[in-house]
Amino acid sequence: MLTIKDLHASVDGKQILKGINLSVKTGEVHAIMGPNGSGKSTLAAVLTGRDNYKVESGTVLFNGENLLEMTPEERSWKGVFLGFQYPVEIPGVSNVNFMKAALNEHRKQRGLEPLSASEFLKVMKEKMAFVEMDSSFSSRGVNVGFSGGEKKRNEIFQMAMLEPTLAILDETDSGLDVDALRIVGTGVTRLKTPQNATIVITHYQRLLDYIVPDFIHVLYDGRIVKTAGKELALEIEKRGYDWLIS
Amino acid sequence: MTGLYHKEEVIFQNSRSGKIEFNYDVPEDGELKLVFVSLGGEVYNRIRIKLGKRCDCTVYGLYIGNKEEKISFDIVVEHQDPESHSRQLFKGILGDTASADFSGLIKVDYDSQKTEAYQENHTLLLNDNARITTKPQLEIYADDVICSHGATVGRLDKDELFYLRSRGISLAEAIKMQQMAFLSDIIEQIKDETVIQAIENKLNKM
Repeated sequence: MLTIKDLHASVDGKQILKGINLSVKTGEVHAIMGPNGSGKSTLAAVLTGRDNYKVESGTVLFNGENLLEMTPEERSWKGVFLGFQYPVEIPGVSNVNFMKAALNEHRKQRGLEPLSASEFLKVMKEKMAFVEMDSSFSSRGVNVGFSGGEKKRNEIFQMAMLEPTLAILDETDSGLDVDALRIVGTGVTRLKTPQNATIVITHYQRLLDYIVPDFIHVLYDGRIVKTAGKELALEIEKRGYDWLIS
Repeated sequence: MTGLYHKEEVIFQNSRSGKIEFNYDVPEDGELKLVFVSLGGEVYNRIRIKLGKRCDCTVYGLYIGNKEEKISFDIVVEHQDPESHSRQLFKGILGDTASADFSGLIKVDYDSQKTEAYQENHTLLLNDNARITTKPQLEIYADDVICSHGATVGRLDKDELFYLRSRGISLAEAIKMQQMAFLSDIIEQIKDETVIQAIENKLNKM
């Protein structure tokens, strides 16, 4: 599904990614771990098309197509989803109008008619219940006044609405209390199908208790320095990163 | 208790040109609510509002200009007597080489104690050639009053734009959503759907 080859990228002239190689197949869950500043969030930003990141060299193929040539919205239509580390607050745009615009644009791209208001509300209600979000959130401004946990639940709600084939979750566990972690963790796990894939970017092992990865990659100084199975997370929890990078 | 004077008006200007004068003399206990919607053209609005005792006055102004359009608001709200409240909120979006001038004065006379008066002007510029001149002013002669004014000039927020696009909302649609959101506290005051549609049509042409 996703093939990253020798990817180099920079921000403001500073080299961050220094040759990433990664292959993700359908049905798989990959965790990317690593200390602060190793390039984890940059990788997520490059894969989703944030404009202040510059790809210097390398290729990224998504289902055979060049992902790096696509606009952010085209990547979304193709099935790429980013769960933001810091979800953006958008005052004046209600959650319901935001998701209606997004979902109907996705439908349009697939040649489908927009959902009727009642059909849409039914889907929205169902998906909100899925992440235990109160229905009052639908009329509120996108993420405005939401707590840290509510923002992350809103990310997973959006993921449930858009049903991506590749979800990239950037530090989705940061700032979550135990209950929100459970809701987010089980939510992502329940959205998993044999046809989609997930990349979980995290510092800690705790989210991986819920979202069990098939592979763990350790990113350090812009390169993947180790790849192993899920047991690596426990070892990192105990020993830290030093033994992997020295 | 409210007085007999109660006026609520939406003043809709679609590519209008010329100088237009608005004068309101609000008597004791009166209420005045105005919503200006000025879409392009080359228009100069001169607005003079005089408030008597215990009046309540709200003025909203929305302006959108592109090409070489010029929109001006020159507003004076004068608190002539005590205990009146006034609020002004002007918001606009300017593209191409459009320009807008906002000159707003809150005047509080000598014995107009317990006045509360607020004024805000916020503008989004879509490029480097669009221009806003904003001049909020206070002229206060009474000492027991609450007054404030403020002005901002900004650009569309890039993080918001990326967030919207990352969910599959096209660039053009995302920009329009941001613009409508910026104007939302004024659009909420408008009940006439044809005016809201005209605002959307104008934004589509920006």
